[in-house]
Amino acid sequence: MSSEPHISRRDLLRGRFGRGADAVSPDRTSSLASSARPLPVLHRPPGAVEEAAFLRECTRCDACVEACPVHAIVRAGTRFREAAGTPVIDASTQPCVMCKDAPCITVCIPRVLRAELPRRMGTARIQIESCLAHTRTTCTVCSERCPVEGAITVERGRPTIHAEHCTGCGVCLSVCPAPQNGVLLLPTLARSA
Amino acid sequence: MLSVERRAFVKSTAIAAATAAAAGSARTWALPILEEPQSGSGLRWEKAPCRFCGTGCHVMVGTENGRVVAIQGDQKAEVNKGLLCVKGYHVGLALYGKDRLTTPMLRTNGVLKPITWDEAIDVISKRILGNPAGFSFYGSGQWTIPEGYAANKFVKAGMGNNQIDANPRLCMASAVTGFLSTFGVDEPPGVYDDIDKCDVAIMWGNNMAEMHPVLFSRLVDRRTRGEKVTIIDMTTRRTRTSDLADHVLLFKPHGDLAIANGIAHLLMKDNAFDHAFVEKHCNFRTLGPPKDEKSPPEMLGVPMTMDAYREAVKDYTPEVVEKLSGVSADHIRMLGALFARKDIKINSFWCMGMNQHTRGTAINCLVHGIHLLSGHFGKPGEAATSLTGQPSACGTAREVGTLCHLLPGGLAIANPQHRAHAEEHWNLAQGRISDKPGYHAVELFKRFNTPTDQGGDVTTIWVQVTNPGHTMPNLTRNFREKSKLADKFLIVSDVYPTATTELADLILPSAMWVEKNGMYGNSERRTHQWFKMVEPPGAARDDCWQTIAVSKRLAELDPTSQRDKDGVWIFKTTDVEGKEIPVWEWAHYYDRNVDERLFNEYRLFSTHKHKNLAPYAEYVKARGLRWPVVEQPDGSWRETRWRFSGFDDPFVEKGRDFQFYHSVSRDDKALIWFRPHEHPPEMPDAEFPFWLCTGRVLEHWHSGTMTRRIPPLHRAMPKAYVEMHRDDAQTMGVRSGDIITVRSRRGAVDLPAWIGGRGNPKQGEVFVPFFDEQVLINLVTLDAYDPYSKQPDYKKCAVQLTRKG
Ligand code: SF4
Repeated sequence: MSSEPHISRRDLLRGRFGRGADAVSPDRTSSLASSARPLPVLHRPPGAVEEAAFLRECTRCDACVEACPVHAIVRAGTRFREAAGTPVIDASTQPCVMCKDAPCITVCIPRVLRAELPRRMGTARIQIESCLAHTRTTCTVCSERCPVEGAITVERGRPTIHAEHCTGCGVCLSVCPAPQNGVLLLPTLARSA
Repeated sequence: MLSVERRAFVKSTAIAAATAAAAGSARTWALPILEEPQSGSGLRWEKAPCRFCGTGCHVMVGTENGRVVAIQGDQKAEVNKGLLCVKGYHVGLALYGKDRLTTPMLRTNGVLKPITWDEAIDVISKRILGNPAGFSFYGSGQWTIPEGYAANKFVKAGMGNNQIDANPRLCMASAVTGFLSTFGVDEPPGVYDDIDKCDVAIMWGNNMAEMHPVLFSRLVDRRTRGEKVTIIDMTTRRTRTSDLADHVLLFKPHGDLAIANGIAHLLMKDNAFDHAFVEKHCNFRTLGPPKDEKSPPEMLGVPMTMDAYREAVKDYTPEVVEKLSGVSADHIRMLGALFARKDIKINSFWCMGMNQHTRGTAINCLVHGIHLLSGHFGKPGEAATSLTGQPSACGTAREVGTLCHLLPGGLAIANPQHRAHAEEHWNLAQGRISDKPGYHAVELFKRFNTPTDQGGDVTTIWVQVTNPGHTMPNLTRNFREKSKLADKFLIVSDVYPTATTELADLILPSAMWVEKNGMYGNSERRTHQWFKMVEPPGAARDDCWQTIAVSKRLAELDPTSQRDKDGVWIFKTTDVEGKEIPVWEWAHYYDRNVDERLFNEYRLFSTHKHKNLAPYAEYVKARGLRWPVVEQPDGSWRETRWRFSGFDDPFVEKGRDFQFYHSVSRDDKALIWFRPHEHPPEMPDAEFPFWLCTGRVLEHWHSGTMTRRIPPLHRAMPKAYVEMHRDDAQTMGVRSGDIITVRSRRGAVDLPAWIGGRGNPKQGEVFVPFFDEQVLINLVTLDAYDPYSKQPDYKKCAVQLTRKG
């Protein structure tokens, strides 16, 4: 698996068709970072400490990368500058599947991933203009595959994401079969220390 | 689903999804566009029907530099009005899986070796000439109309036998026998407009939300417009259709026969049937005694009086029906009362639930019967509508007659007059069309998988556009024995490696969908046409060309083969000046539109049974036309929506409200059948205590050879599973994601359990989708079939479940 976060192939065609970009977080991050140079907003593995501490204390040891049974954790690419080499999740390639035992947290020696912190990596939102179920076509994939009870419910055939339960694991984003992905995944902006 | 179970299930499917994502090449993504195609965008846009299901949606296909790069729902198409389902949006990607077959390959000493087309054609021709009687074609409801027509003519005119059958035998055959028994002619009287007009839609074991998703959208969209439409879902398991239904009536497998008879009984008992309609337009019918011990009674039965009918259905009181079907007596009364009402429009829909049924002909007849009895027939919104699974099961298999007992245009081998018509259209000597039907699908593969000296008289099969190595029931017996029989020879034309090519002796790479010209016919009698838009990869070529090229070689090698009575080759094609075009040479195949040439010949057959087709050119202009299509005095061509109804069908005599002009009883009346409820041939017992039902899922089309190569669809539904009831799972200590062995008397497969997932079977029942080639559930299914349609029952057999590890 490549260490560079995956850029949607649809972006390649974006210019031609003038449609919006994919809701892939690392992509958005890069454009944010290029102007004001704030701390990049990265989609971190579960239980991550606040970003400044994360950057300071993460030893880039790759233990979490190796521990993840589904290979969801990858190293951030060089374009993330000071964050290069730190663990991120690119849900459009492989989402976190919310393992109960969270081996990534267990193996983290510098404790930038902690069992006592909320496993909230971000929040997913349904883009109703792209979601198939909201645009008159049967589809129930996101709710079926969501690993968190109550995070996605279906009413009259249409999904709703409940932010209070959503952990931002990105499973819904990765399985969404809509031609324009129906899920927008935002990484958690401010994590607790 | 409990969160722990959800996680386990996601985990068990995640790795497969990741692999698929990695396999997807960046350049092979079609980008469906929602705006009107812009001129000057560099793309070329053309119409085509969707490659997948029998709904027959139209798509606009955008091509650039010889590749399909964009797909859009066609706003001009009446069927889908711009909407597509998830498969349709990605249909363009079906062309670009990485492992397309691109060169002919012959198995020599167990190893597949590339050969030239010329060699391949030689191998097939010599194989056929070596034992013409042992050769059979096996085709498909995904054959285009001209492809099916060519194969049919190849066999029935060119070889003088009827050794051709096709996979609609596995999917639509019981609907055909149902229409024939009731109306004397195949295919639905109604159309999709009924979906827009009905007040009540009854699903008879039909998961329309997943299987005909655009039609389901068409139905439920009416609610968002403020219209009231009541959906009654009669089903053996809760599905996505149930989620939007007003009433969900869960019945026991085979209980549908009891339910239909229960409705008929109430209509008769309460004198609530439509007296005028029945008197004027219907006769009653039942099966006669069997001819002998071995064969079933004649399909077309014997007349019965109304009193005898009333007597026959009398046993099916709501209470008895409750016992037989598991649906409450109150719900049976509700259905009876519904059909008794004259102020509402009722439409029934069905698909594989009623067709893949050892009593398929019977249940099809019964559902037609209650519509006729109650007079809910022949007006917009009032029909009994069978939906097809394949894009051209109707257009090709049923209308072109690529089955072992049919001729084009709804003509039958058994009828001497029909054979004479065919001989006339094809300029054949009298008696050239054999009166002996060929083998139906299951029988064909049974014989192919039986040693030749033990009655296995089928030695060579040429399979086009289908995957019997995945979809035949009881695969070990009906497909895999062949590998032990050295003298059997399997030829497979396909686009990807499949469970069928695995055992093939000769593999031919085919062009698919918009890589060739084509025509399909959907579930509502609508014939579509499209043009070739891109080149097939490598040496892949049209199936139709393959058939024609072999026909030519046979004609060269054997002066009695593939020629008409004047010795002219049956596919002779000329240019405008009458000069022959060598269409058997690939370089010249597209010198003329061979589809047009074949279709315009075929359409001559269509008038005998009032299935009139327009000339090819009319279909070029239209988003499909529904037959009968009849020329008007002003030279235009008019399609027909409601067959047999005086207000729309041009073949109904002036002044009559209805006329069943192909009536079995020859008096312009339709037949209301009595057929009793019977138990299925295999039922759960102590050793095999669960019912197994198999079927499709929304994201995959049939055996998944195309859709599993489309990354977004594969990620959305990566792997087959076994759905079980929560209580059964609890008793067995099974959680979602645990691996279960599903075993029948015939075979076993291992699958992850999915509890509380997409569908919810009743206690004592499990469901497994069949799309996944890694888990061939047809190793487990039963090959018992309906005695009339010869269609096997994939929906019911007995299995045991064991938890692995
Ligand atoms: S698969 Fe069927 S419902 Fe879906 S777009 Fe194609 S034809 Fe329409």
